[in-house]
Amino acid sequence: MNQASPRARVAIVEDDAILREDLARIVTQTENLEVAGMADTLAAGRILIGTQPDVLLIDLALPDGNGVELIAEARAQIPSIKIIVVSIFGDAHSVVRAIEAGADGYLLKGANPVEAASAITTVLNGGAPISPAVASHILVRMRDRRDATREKLDAPLTEKEIAVLTDLAKGFRYKEVARLHNISPHTVADHVKSIYRKLAVNSRSEAVFEAVQAGLIRFKD
Amino acid sequence: MPDSEQVERGLTPPTPSPVGWPTAVAIIVLLLACCGALLSANLVAENVPGKRVSQMLAADLPGSPFLEVTLPHWHCCATTPMRFRTTLDADTANAQDPAILIVSAHDNARLFIDGSLVAGEGPGTGEPTNWSRRPRLFHIPKAMALEGAHIEIEVQRGVGFGHLRPIYFGEYDRLYPSYAALRFLRADMQIANGTIGAFVAAFCFAAASLLGARGLMYALGGLAASWALQVLGLGPSEPPWSGVVANGIYFVGYLGTSVFLVWFFVEWTSVFAAPLRRPWRPIDLLISPWPTRLRWRLATAGLSLLALGAIVIALMLQQDAAIGSQDVDRLLGWLTLVAIAFCLIRVVAYYWRTGFRDLFEAAAFLFVLLAAIADIVMVRFFFMYGVSLGAAVMFFPLALLLSLAARARGVFEAATANADKLNLLVTAREREIVEAMNEVRRNERAAMLLEERSRIMRDMHDVIGGQLLGLILQARSQSSSDTRLVSGLEQSLDDLRMVVDSLEQGEGSLTGALGAFRARIEPRCEAAGVALVWEIQDVGETPNIGPDKTLQIYRILLEACTNALRHGAPKQISVSLARTISGEIEIGVRDDGGGFAIENHAPGRGIANMQTRANRIGAAMRLSSDENGARLTLVLRA
Repeated sequence: MNQASPRARVAIVEDDAILREDLARIVTQTENLEVAGMADTLAAGRILIGTQPDVLLIDLALPDGNGVELIAEARAQIPSIKIIVVSIFGDAHSVVRAIEAGADGYLLKGANPVEAASAITTVLNGGAPISPAVASHILVRMRDRRDATREKLDAPLTEKEIAVLTDLAKGFRYKEVARLHNISPHTVADHVKSIYRKLAVNSRSEAVFEAVQAGLIRFKD
Repeated sequence: MPDSEQVERGLTPPTPSPVGWPTAVAIIVLLLACCGALLSANLVAENVPGKRVSQMLAADLPGSPFLEVTLPHWHCCATTPMRFRTTLDADTANAQDPAILIVSAHDNARLFIDGSLVAGEGPGTGEPTNWSRRPRLFHIPKAMALEGAHIEIEVQRGVGFGHLRPIYFGEYDRLYPSYAALRFLRADMQIANGTIGAFVAAFCFAAASLLGARGLMYALGGLAASWALQVLGLGPSEPPWSGVVANGIYFVGYLGTSVFLVWFFVEWTSVFAAPLRRPWRPIDLLISPWPTRLRWRLATAGLSLLALGAIVIALMLQQDAAIGSQDVDRLLGWLTLVAIAFCLIRVVAYYWRTGFRDLFEAAAFLFVLLAAIADIVMVRFFFMYGVSLGAAVMFFPLALLLSLAARARGVFEAATANADKLNLLVTAREREIVEAMNEVRRNERAAMLLEERSRIMRDMHDVIGGQLLGLILQARSQSSSDTRLVSGLEQSLDDLRMVVDSLEQGEGSLTGALGAFRARIEPRCEAAGVALVWEIQDVGETPNIGPDKTLQIYRILLEACTNALRHGAPKQISVSLARTISGEIEIGVRDDGGGFAIENHAPGRGIANMQTRANRIGAAMRLSSDENGARLTLVLRA
């Protein structure tokens, strides 16, 4: 964090009161972080987004809808916002969906305070946490999508990115991957961020492709 | 009943084409126009006063040597030149430009006036050099055109209707139109007829394989070709064509006409008719459709007859170029008469049975009939050329081809309708099949879901349920400290995450699945101060290892790691994944702890559990232990 804004403002959207309080406690106790506000529904979350927070901690399963919607809206309204999905299982399916909507990382619910704080700080400092499950899921997904559209993706992964992702999927840590590829851990993080961005881009173009296929959109000849 | 007949023939009746009537009318109009044109040419040709043969033979020159000659005669005039004699009348003698028109005298006619040769070429010695049927128009020199002058006309061969009224006298200009009309009727018409015949023949032979009804098309083509041959044989015969060759061509064409006529009408009255359903009787040869095999035999016999006839004709012409031809002409005439009678009976029987179903056919047959009657009347009672039949015969193949096309169209439409029906049927069946497949898929899916659900239930029940229940009981009895409770709950959540991981990763590759597993055991290793060495190789796709097996592998590995941490006090634990040379998957867990005596532990609950799980997923499990540490190896099919 730079000196001009000493504390990053964190918005928390979580419907479970205990978990919400837990997250709030972690944020409060962490240096350079403060709670911007808390919400327990999508609707309340939208209002919270209006306060221009720096970080959004969001649960996906909310009583009035899926958190993915709010992620997309927040990303659209505040391009610089860091979005972290809070998930019980960190299961790849929901995490990847959130990344496609614009999320920057994920946090396991019930993680101990040190881990949680470190995860938030990592994202805030430009890191991109990724679990082997998520990496594996992205690999499969990219391959399937390429096969399904039978044409090049708008933003295909580079060979380096695929190699990094493959090693991450095997369960190797950033440091180990960096050592394997003779690059710095930061570069690995950059690769992962790039992969996340491409995932979001491809997800949008895929949505257009599917809409065209379904006849929802018609191009002029 | 027409309907049942159509059903039996398996064809939908051809729907009347909207252009059917106009086309039929057009054919009739065209025919009438042609006949009208020919008739007017005929009238022009006849529109001059002429002298009949009888008048000339009973000429005003009594004692003429020609009185004894009787005309026409089968052996009349091929080699013996004939002379017609008369005297010039006053009208002709006083004409501006007196002339004489010889209708049927051919090119080798000679005109003598008062005994001296005035015009024309004389007969050659031996075989005639030119058998053209062109009329001749000669000037009579003014100086010799005196009333009562002796006119003698010598012709080498005079057949045809010109015999009846062979010679016209008058003004040259007055005679010229008749001469032109006669030329057209006797020579140019032949060329037109021959051209049409050749064209129709070429078309039929080319289209036979395309249109089907091949016998019919071949027969029609043969008919047209023989017609063209006849005309060719009648044409002028200049060297290197000799008169014999032209004669031969003519007679072979003549014979061919009879042969192909019979074949064609047998085909025509058989190929479109329903086959007989009663025993074959001799009369059926005349009036009923012939079976295909019999028709092909007829074709073979006809062509053999044609070949044989050609040889006989050639031999006869070798002996006598002209007299022989008269005999052949007569014989062939009789043969053709019989053939025509046969065809006529067949056609009448055919249309009697089926009625006129086609406008083109109706137009063609009706017109041929009328033309024949008209021609007979013309020739017999008015001594004019028969012109209608020629025109009718020219358009007859055209009308029949149109009729064929209409029939073919009916067949195509019936086939298209059937194809449409079949397509509809196929579409309907396809839909049914797709629905059935969807149903099957739904059922399969439901069954799979049920199976998966029961498996997850079993997993939850076996492990997590038990763990949670134990914790609850502990909490209730206050027998457990908060720390143990939390650790137990954490373990339950961990296990639940493992289940989730197995579900997510199980379908792709074991590499990714083990990658996810690292997050589950690394914290434990770190907590115990043990280094985790991760030696995972990319083993590619492992389609045989689904979520169920993945979860069992997770649990075996977890048990192995837990055992190592609990009993071995190792510095490090390494987890490895590799594919063996034989393509199997090998998973290993190795520690550098103190190891354990397998005998002492066996049958330890943990090891027994691991073995049970390994058996359940069909994996071979090896466990070894010595002072350098313990080692677990799991080998299973990818």
